[in-house]
Amino acid sequence: MLEIRNLNAGYGEMPVLKSVSLSVSKGEILSIVGSNGAGKSTLLKSISGVVRASGSMDFLGAPIVDLKPHEIVRRGIVHVPEGRKIFPELTVSENLRMGAFLNPQHYRSRIEMVFDLFPRLAERPNQLGGTMSGGEQQMLAIARGLMGDPKLLMLDEPSLGLSPLYAETVFRSIGEINRNGVTVLLVEQNVFLSLSISNRGYVIETGSVVLTGSGQELLENPQVKKAFLGM
Amino acid sequence: MTKQWTGIATFAALAASVPFFLGDNPYIADILITMLMMAALASAWNIVGGYAGQFSFGHAAYFGAGAYTTSILLTASSIALPLCIGAGILAASLIALLTGAIVFRLRGHYFALASIAVAEIVRLTAHNLEITGGAQGLLITDITFGNLDLNSKEPFYFAMLFLLVTTLAISLLVRHSRAGYFLLAIREDQDAAASLGINLYLWKNMALVISAALASVAGSIYAVYIRFIDTSAVLSLRLSIEIILTTIIGGVGTLWGPVLGAALLVSLAEALRSNLAGELLVNSGIITEASPIESFLKNNLAHAHVLVYGIITVLCILNLPKGILGLFRRKQRT
Repeated sequence: MLEIRNLNAGYGEMPVLKSVSLSVSKGEILSIVGSNGAGKSTLLKSISGVVRASGSMDFLGAPIVDLKPHEIVRRGIVHVPEGRKIFPELTVSENLRMGAFLNPQHYRSRIEMVFDLFPRLAERPNQLGGTMSGGEQQMLAIARGLMGDPKLLMLDEPSLGLSPLYAETVFRSIGEINRNGVTVLLVEQNVFLSLSISNRGYVIETGSVVLTGSGQELLENPQVKKAFLGM
Repeated sequence: MTKQWTGIATFAALAASVPFFLGDNPYIADILITMLMMAALASAWNIVGGYAGQFSFGHAAYFGAGAYTTSILLTASSIALPLCIGAGILAASLIALLTGAIVFRLRGHYFALASIAVAEIVRLTAHNLEITGGAQGLLITDITFGNLDLNSKEPFYFAMLFLLVTTLAISLLVRHSRAGYFLLAIREDQDAAASLGINLYLWKNMALVISAALASVAGSIYAVYIRFIDTSAVLSLRLSIEIILTTIIGGVGTLWGPVLGAALLVSLAEALRSNLAGELLVNSGIITEASPIESFLKNNLAHAHVLVYGIITVLCILNLPKGILGLFRRKQRT
């Protein structure tokens, strides 16, 4: 579905991604794990076009490396950025409507699907986004991304700042989203949680892919255990 | 939203009936025209500054573009007034597009800074070109429009009122359209807006051009009303800042905030300038015309309206971040 070969990206003079290659297959949950500063978020930003990158990047067979962010969203890649970035002064339903603006004709069916997935949002459509708890805001951010009917949903650190209990709830929802037919690309620091729901994973260190395998393989890999799980 | 339309219609009807009660009072009429003009300018600014969150510090450039284009065309040719105003809109939109096309590639405060620079470039150009009358400015000596009496204030009162109501209507339409939600998304969080597929560059430029076009019409009407313009009257940084202050004090990002701010600040400036406080004290017999208090007020307070503006702004920013309108409607948003 998404084929990335020899992707380089950086900020100004500083290179962050060094010749990264990876592929995402239709229907899977793919995790990208790595420590702080490894380039995980930069990778997602390059895919969504926020950060300019060089190399080759094909989505559904068409090159997207030179497209602008709004054009990439139109192709079906939705990026839920790190730190949630909901619109704090807008209500829950306004936030969701923002997400559906590229295909307003599907608003009704999408909102039903999203409310099914996150009943908490259905209970309080008129609450201001900024007054919700961290976990609810994360749900709102994911829900807003889903309103755009993505083929590929990219989530950047969905467990950031959430209690362990809430993080698990959010991850259960991610599994459910995937079962509904959305391919998910997940960037996480919470290696155990993310690998345990993923089909496959990549480990990134200082801008390069150092390890890849199925979720289970990576969880059992001694390197991963030592570096990320403290075992 | 229906409520807002009713509000605009009621306001238009009430304001339109004012001249019939006022009778012949050119002093009050002039203050009201200034009020309507500032309200229209602040509302226009609010579209790009309030809804899209892009603070322009150079709206005088668009006001001035309208004023100068109309003045030049009226003195140099026999082009009809509405076409002159249309040409002013084109000139202002062009300046806005040129600014936006370059500067909206950057984020944050760059736009604010660049908008000052562009406005200063426009001011200095007008100050030094022959066609704009240089430092002397331009005088419109002879003008007719239909059989309107352009020596009276009434046509200008209605023209400014029409502009204000149009600006309010456009604001409301924009705010509740797809574009309006795009603008709010951009104001709230540009990264998130981009991640939803919103073309930041396009919509910021769109908001700026709409805003500039409306501001230029105010400039055109002003030029025909006063019949004399120079760079310090229509292109000064002071005017740009007054437009922003009016909006911030009234309530930025709201429909009625700019109108409220204009009503308040214009009357306040006038009260200070005409030494209203001193006159009140003298008239009520508390002090005499010869008392040192009166001469102090007359000599100092009358020139202090800018200082008072400043103090009010500081107080507003500290205590009323949502403007005076925010006091009345904490929960509602327009």
